[in-house]
Amino acid sequence: MAKTITVRQMKKKENLAGHLFAFPWLFGLIVLGIFPIFMSLYISFTNYDMISPMEWIGFENYRILLTNDSLFWKSLGNTVYHVAIAVPLSIFVGLFLAFLLNNRVKGMSVYRTLFYLPNVVSVVAMTLLWMWLFQPNFGLVNALLDPIYDLLGVEPLGWYLDQDLSKFTLILMGLWTSGGSMVIYLAQMQDIPTTLYESAEIDGAGWWHKMIHITLPLMTPSIYFNFIMGLIGGFQVFTMAYIMTNGGPSRSSYYYAYYLFDKMMADNAMGMASAMAWILLVIVLVVTVLALKLNKFVFYMGEDS
Amino acid sequence: MKKIIVCFTVLFAAIALVACGSEPTDKITIDFWHMAPVGTTAYTPTKAIINAFNESQDTYYVKGTGFSFWDYWDKINIAVSSRTAPDLGLSTLDDVESRAEAGVLYDISDFLVDDPDGLELDQFYTAQMEFATYDGDLYALPFTATVRVLYYNLDMFEEVGLTEADVPTTWSELLAVAKQLDVVNGDGEIQRLGFDPSYGNATYHGWLWEAGLDFFDANGDPTLNTQGHIDVLQWMKDFNSEFTRAQLVAFGDANTLLGINPFAGERVAMMVETDGLYEIIKNAGADFNFGVTTIPVPDDGGIRVNWGSGFSIELYDNGDGDDASKQGAWEFLKYLMSYDVQKEMAEVNGWIMAHKRAMSDLATELDDPILARMLVEVEYARDKVYIPYAPSWHGNDWQPYYNNFLTGEMTATEALAAARANYLEKQENYNATH
Repeated sequence: MAKTITVRQMKKKENLAGHLFAFPWLFGLIVLGIFPIFMSLYISFTNYDMISPMEWIGFENYRILLTNDSLFWKSLGNTVYHVAIAVPLSIFVGLFLAFLLNNRVKGMSVYRTLFYLPNVVSVVAMTLLWMWLFQPNFGLVNALLDPIYDLLGVEPLGWYLDQDLSKFTLILMGLWTSGGSMVIYLAQMQDIPTTLYESAEIDGAGWWHKMIHITLPLMTPSIYFNFIMGLIGGFQVFTMAYIMTNGGPSRSSYYYAYYLFDKMMADNAMGMASAMAWILLVIVLVVTVLALKLNKFVFYMGEDS
Repeated sequence: MKKIIVCFTVLFAAIALVACGSEPTDKITIDFWHMAPVGTTAYTPTKAIINAFNESQDTYYVKGTGFSFWDYWDKINIAVSSRTAPDLGLSTLDDVESRAEAGVLYDISDFLVDDPDGLELDQFYTAQMEFATYDGDLYALPFTATVRVLYYNLDMFEEVGLTEADVPTTWSELLAVAKQLDVVNGDGEIQRLGFDPSYGNATYHGWLWEAGLDFFDANGDPTLNTQGHIDVLQWMKDFNSEFTRAQLVAFGDANTLLGINPFAGERVAMMVETDGLYEIIKNAGADFNFGVTTIPVPDDGGIRVNWGSGFSIELYDNGDGDDASKQGAWEFLKYLMSYDVQKEMAEVNGWIMAHKRAMSDLATELDDPILARMLVEVEYARDKVYIPYAPSWHGNDWQPYYNNFLTGEMTATEALAAARANYLEKQENYNATH
């Protein structure tokens, strides 16, 4: 006699199989993702020092950070400075490169590869390389700028060893990886229908008008994407400062994530470090929500306006 | 497909068997973490030391795991905090107190009650033993004894007509001798520096100790606000004040770019460094004549002292009540701290070990006057205190202000006042949460 199976049983079986297949991912999400996130929230309300048992201290870590920790505000200020300059600048440079490389010149794929190449170099290697280039006394950058210094009669710039320039030097260094966003811009640029340009040309539009009225508006989705990602990444800036400047000089490149790291590793103040992480999350969320308001200026092709 | 699965299964089984093969199941396994990972020159000799113990044992089997120095600290700290620490491991001597207070270490004094001759306690330096003691009980043992000394280049001394008898002993002699050793070329570029109090392993707190001062008082409150503190800091900067900041920076940058220690690179005639520099010079096969001596002290009432950090060896209590492993760890600890093994460890790693007789005998056997001289200085070594509210008081917390002073951004008074304010803020915040 043939074995019969009801639809209900089949659904149950399928459900089980589905859950089994999803289990590795669900396990990873819950154990390696959600649990540590909520654990860190709990730790932020304790005085956990990584060795002694943790004691509940309520909002004390948050109170101290916001009202009695001068380095908290200093590091946050440095980070906001970095985000405010690095994000727009990297968008500009990425777009500029994309415009340059959106041509039918011989060997264009080689140029595109070359500009993208810095993205596959590890941040540590890149930072060490730029340390040599920006070295005030022996670096190539100052050697190249030497005639200009002579002409203007000024002292050579101290770059990452000058507290007024250290953050800007790190931002300049970060632009080396603009090739990453360039690829996204380039892809979207090549997605723009040529018919739009042809009809604009018939109407007498030149290069400038085509760029302002066709290219840039149609590229707003990728600009917007890079803007949001840049904001989120910018608030977490750490590695370059850690390797190149140690947060100095005069803590001028002591970023928020660096201070968080020191709170944990140097001060063993895991509770305080967790509180910093949650404050950063709130800051990033607020900034991102504000940035999402700009969505109305983004033009998505194929959608009704 | 079937063949591939079979192939992977066989491979996995083989790896599992190999992994199991080295650990005897009839013995109690003791985990020991050290800093001689596979691929380092110290790995094979360290393994031989562990194997020799294992061969002598019927009950215990020590499984040694080596991590590189740079990875070791994160590994051990996380393991201790998650209560998954090895039975036995190395750590830093200056903060034994914090781990003892947290209850993650076994009390070694308890073992000594039943086994009073287990360790030659009189062979360890008193100053180091104090750091291993918490609340009257011994919670660790000093494993190594780092020392800081003044290295001097004898060839350079001879070049300017000085001899070993001219090696400075006081700050004023140091200045007089150093100035004879400075070399500047026609372009004003420093070619050689006699000495700089901020170079190498010379630290502000080291100079303060020599002047009878410190960063903190006996209660752990920050000091730094006396004229004496200002004078010592100012002395450090004024030492080479005849050079411009640009000259000194260019010289320092050239040292950094060369990537070798300025003394080993024969760019500095005298320098305060740890015993580690001796190993570097020996391994590099340097062919210049040099010596080591006591770091010069202030002319009036100077105190002979040097910053002597060191590793501790500790038995970790993971709270699992594993008495068998605990006893095994104690047996292995006694073995590691014994005369023969300490001597062997010194040869393997190039470290100065904590066992006094083992080290002095080794220096005699090797006919090594430099090592012998450094051992004399270990007697005057002092570790830095552990400050719970600022564990990195000499590093992260102090360096920005120190650098601001050296670069001229702040005066000595301003830098010290700002650093003190930072310590006080940290202390207040720590007290509010503990």
